[in-house]
Amino acid sequence: MSHLINTTLWEVISQNISETETDWLTQKGNGSPIELMTAFVASPRFLPKKIVNIESAQEHSLHEIVPGFSINGWSLVRLARVWLLTKLDASDKEAFVKNIETLFDTAEMNELVALYSALPVLDFPEQWLFRATDAVRSNMGFVFDAIALHNPYPAKYFSELAWNQLVLKTIFNDKPVHFITGLEERQNENLALVLSDFAHERWAAGRSVAPNVWRLVSKYLNDTLLSDVAHLFHTPHFYNHEAAALVCFDSEYEPAKALLSGYPEFEKSITEGALTWSNLEFTDLNTYVPTLQR
Amino acid sequence: MCQHCKDSSAPNPSHFEAGDGLANSPAHIDMAWSEYNELIKGMRFFDPHIHMVSRTTDDYQAMRQAGIVALIEPSFWVGQPRTGLSSFKDYYSSLVGWERFRSSQFGIKHYCTMGLNSREANNEPLAEQVMEILPLYIYKEGVVGIGEIGFDDQTAAEEKYYRLQLELAKEAKLPVQIHTPHRDKKRGTERSMAIALEHGLDPSWVIVDHNNEETVKSVLDQGFYAAFTIYPFTKMGNERMVKVVEQYGPERIMVNSAADWGISDPLALPKTAALMKMRGIADETIRLVTYQNAIDAFGKSGQIDVSDFEGGLSVEKTEKFHGNSILRGGQQPDVAKDSLVIQ
Repeated sequence: MSHLINTTLWEVISQNISETETDWLTQKGNGSPIELMTAFVASPRFLPKKIVNIESAQEHSLHEIVPGFSINGWSLVRLARVWLLTKLDASDKEAFVKNIETLFDTAEMNELVALYSALPVLDFPEQWLFRATDAVRSNMGFVFDAIALHNPYPAKYFSELAWNQLVLKTIFNDKPVHFITGLEERQNENLALVLSDFAHERWAAGRSVAPNVWRLVSKYLNDTLLSDVAHLFHTPHFYNHEAAALVCFDSEYEPAKALLSGYPEFEKSITEGALTWSNLEFTDLNTYVPTLQR
Repeated sequence: MCQHCKDSSAPNPSHFEAGDGLANSPAHIDMAWSEYNELIKGMRFFDPHIHMVSRTTDDYQAMRQAGIVALIEPSFWVGQPRTGLSSFKDYYSSLVGWERFRSSQFGIKHYCTMGLNSREANNEPLAEQVMEILPLYIYKEGVVGIGEIGFDDQTAAEEKYYRLQLELAKEAKLPVQIHTPHRDKKRGTERSMAIALEHGLDPSWVIVDHNNEETVKSVLDQGFYAAFTIYPFTKMGNERMVKVVEQYGPERIMVNSAADWGISDPLALPKTAALMKMRGIADETIRLVTYQNAIDAFGKSGQIDVSDFEGGLSVEKTEKFHGNSILRGGQQPDVAKDSLVIQ
């Protein structure tokens, strides 16, 4: 996998850098592990600070190789660092793991971002599970984002417990859940039940819950969750009403259907396709401010 | 609430050990900062020496409000002596990790200098190990120099590690930030400079820190940058700083706060700028000593891109820098500190 991916990544990189920069990076990429690791650290000193341009065909072929893997919006340095990691010799597992661990242990913030971004394309994926769950524990927002958002690694390798922590912390940190890769596929009942408790705490504090979060409960409605949905219809914010209607519409739970029938205008706009969860995919969340009743 | 504070407010000389015969009068007594901060409206500041790991979020907010847009956090000792390599490693990592992130949340660009401080250079077995891992950190993004290094007690061990780190700076093409000793300062400063020159360092790549009226002339005459620390009780007061600038002009002079865990002032730069403005010092001179000279000196590292902070470090800028599409959760909201109600 590493070979295919690094060829594709290189194609993108080479379209984004000058000849001298290409020379520097090629030389380091073909160097010994130590040279390569030093280049990983030093790349901001040799590469320009800019966001990578990527063609949709390239984006597509990355998806083909590693489903869900995206470099959209990455800085050139981040991309070059991930490329260097795919060039690191993995033939000796022990040495490879040790080298990656060394990079983690001494990493600054942007290096951590690159390391976590690289997890979906590194060899021996199970080996990085602890690191990955540790990134979810990170309080450095950018580090957390690198594992939690637009990264296919967690959905593929995390246990249910670790996955639920990732989703909950994303919600807790006011980050948009729809940026989590595999959100639909990894839905589960425990998560839905915890979300009910979470919402009750928020409401008790006079705070709110991002409406988009409720998409995670449709499949698992019970009496408690349904009363939460009914509560949403009674909050002052319109987006909550839309979320409640969508939950009911998606659900197979009969009492939910009954609840929705009391709101025919929502049912109509969902049936017509005018109202979908994408209407509620906000990125500027601020659920801690009491005056914004979402 | 704290009736005895006044009585017990003996100077707490953390960063600077108490010298002899210090004035006991508190700093900034006559003029209220709140009455003078209008003078520096629109100015921006670069504090090239401040230890944010010891400061609170209140400080970060106050600094940002007062116009501080970027800072350098030199690595130093943390009060409690370190007993193992791991605590050095974690400290260095925090300077390029957690503290950098914390600062970004308040819209302040955070740089640092890396080094083995002089006090802990005296623990030779540990110092050896630190020297082995130091090269891992000096090439990191945003590391703008080797520092703060130099002399404290002026022991042989201090000299040994000072020299080794000067070589490291040369090899890595990084500026050097020199901590000058509190005791026997004048000779310690001269000795630090002589050794730097002996190792072939270009003096314009070396920032000699914690100067006073007694040391400044020689530092400037030999071509070094002279940094002044405005630190209540134990070091320079800002009225003295005004006089230094009046006498020597702005060339190769910079002001810093060196604020740390002791009684120190993270607003030393904006306060000094206001005082300078009041005393009739030209705006351009103020800009040079509280902003531009530090950027010129440490910018030799190639690690300072002023476009990151000159227009303010906005959340959008930070995102772009990290290639990140998240809008919120990056910047800390302003808290209504004067309100009784906490929401």
